[in-house]
Amino acid sequence: MSNPAMQLIGLKKTIRNKPIIKGLDFNIYPGEVFGFLGPNGAGKTTTIRMMVGLMKITEGDVLIEGKSIKTDFKEAIKHVGAIVENPEMYPFMTGRKNLEHYARMIPGISKERINEVIALVGLEKPINEKVGRYSLGMRQRLGIAQALLHKPSILILDEPTNGLDPSGIREIRRYIRDLAEQENVAVIVSSHLLSEIELMCDRIGIIKNGEIIAINSVNDTMEQTELNDVYIELDNVQIGKQQLEQQFDKEVRMEKDNIILSAKKDEIPQIIKSLVSENINIYGVYVKRSSLEDKFLELIGDNTIE
Amino acid sequence: MSNFIQLVKNEQIKLYVRKATWVMFAILALIAILGAVIVRFIDDGSLQEYGDDWREELQEENQQITQQMEEANSDEMEFSEAMNPATLERNNYHLENDIKPQGYDAWKYLYENTFLASVISLFTIIVAAGIIANEFKWGTIKLLLIRPASRLKILASKYISILVFALTLLLFLIVVSWTVGAILFGVDGLSSNAVILQLDGTYEQIDLFKETIIAYGFKMVNLVMMATFAFMISTIFRSSGMAIGLAIFLMFAGNGVVLFVSQYDWAKYILFANTDLSQYTGGSEPAIEGMTMAFSIIVLLVYYCIFLAASWWAFTKRDVAGQ
Repeated sequence: MSNPAMQLIGLKKTIRNKPIIKGLDFNIYPGEVFGFLGPNGAGKTTTIRMMVGLMKITEGDVLIEGKSIKTDFKEAIKHVGAIVENPEMYPFMTGRKNLEHYARMIPGISKERINEVIALVGLEKPINEKVGRYSLGMRQRLGIAQALLHKPSILILDEPTNGLDPSGIREIRRYIRDLAEQENVAVIVSSHLLSEIELMCDRIGIIKNGEIIAINSVNDTMEQTELNDVYIELDNVQIGKQQLEQQFDKEVRMEKDNIILSAKKDEIPQIIKSLVSENINIYGVYVKRSSLEDKFLELIGDNTIE
Repeated sequence: MSNFIQLVKNEQIKLYVRKATWVMFAILALIAILGAVIVRFIDDGSLQEYGDDWREELQEENQQITQQMEEANSDEMEFSEAMNPATLERNNYHLENDIKPQGYDAWKYLYENTFLASVISLFTIIVAAGIIANEFKWGTIKLLLIRPASRLKILASKYISILVFALTLLLFLIVVSWTVGAILFGVDGLSSNAVILQLDGTYEQIDLFKETIIAYGFKMVNLVMMATFAFMISTIFRSSGMAIGLAIFLMFAGNGVVLFVSQYDWAKYILFANTDLSQYTGGSEPAIEGMTMAFSIIVLLVYYCIFLAASWWAFTKRDVAGQ
């Protein structure tokens, strides 16, 4: 793998003698979307604030393209585009004026680049309206636009789909995937919603009470671990149940026109084949709860804020 | 360096894009215009013009005044009559020193408008109090601080921006006052001399142009100190309301406090005992015995450095955490 875009080395934060972040160690690589998952209060935003230098690091360091955010702030931060918490902009200025404001803070951003990012996030129409009149979704897009202005190699988005409607969420997801795949940007996305992270991330780090308790590759999880509650809708539930119990040695439950069992992802095609061979008609296959979600809940347990 | 100019430009843009800033300019213009109209149309004798035979005119006026003063019952003195002894003295000064009294003109009006510098101070305090606190209030501070510009540079750009704003207001006041004065009273040449009542009760001839610059200059000292104070409070507490309230309260209550504790020796180290440097000019006594201009300047510089150091510490050393 290539050099990491960002490295967290024993990152700790203590506020008034209370450890908030208890030592995070992980790398984020160019071209990957890293999901930073954890319940509210687990320390996601505190970690992000340390990554971008808004908060002092108590112990450890964050290296961005090899440069320390502590000792080499300017060189480190110029590779980063970020939204921290809500995408807050100056409400009394237009979207364009807001972007021009941030563009002035970094040398070498042309008018064309500003237009380019406006087009990228699809804000051409309302860009000359005051941000105070924007919906949360529009502000979220403007937030992404300002983060992309200087073509950063690392993009940090804190809860980027907050307040977006489903089509907005899908679009953001697409931008994020495109940025990672086409521009080789390392994207860090934080969320407390697993379903969201699962759909756009390559790897997921789960944080709880200031500690990383697991780092999983999304695809690994999908293929190797058990998917609980695979629903298969059939015309003949009884025969289907018998067939699968004999052939796969699985516990199969019935519910109306469905049989329910747990299986690994790569077992599902075999299960379907065996049902088809018995001339059973299949109307649908659904996975009700992914194992990742179970795993997540299991790992998180009760997130008590210490 | 060009980077820094861009930061100051950003601050200026954010300032002038808001209506509140324009309201400040409008209020200042309105006061300057109204003041001129009042002076022009409510005649209290100050607009009187004297011709070539001004000596006779002044003597005639003096006779009238003396007569009036003898007749008047001190219990029912009107305002215009209360001014009589002063007018008499001023006229005598003109006669004794053979100086022709000059008419009221734009320069004189500009000089009299120095008191409006307090309005500029007020507006500058409001801007200084908001320039950091508002970024926290809006949440935009986070996006501001994750750019390749050091916190010190951002802080400095905001501070410079306040001074630029104060200077702009001052220039605006001068231009408006002079223009309105020129329209309503005319202009009496470039070097205008005037006879002004000194604080010790005597009259003296002064170069109005020079005096105007000095008078505004002294007011600016007070302005810079109070604006820096508001800036510090705003940076430390991240609340504009608190900074405005404290700075304005101290600006108005400060002199009273100094008066109240003036019998103590330490009173002369209070900021407000020193902000008015004009106390050392015009033959007046300083607020507390034993103070000199040099002493005040040193005290002011010490305060100034403390204010800036505290702002710097609060802005660059502290975490930017959630609201």
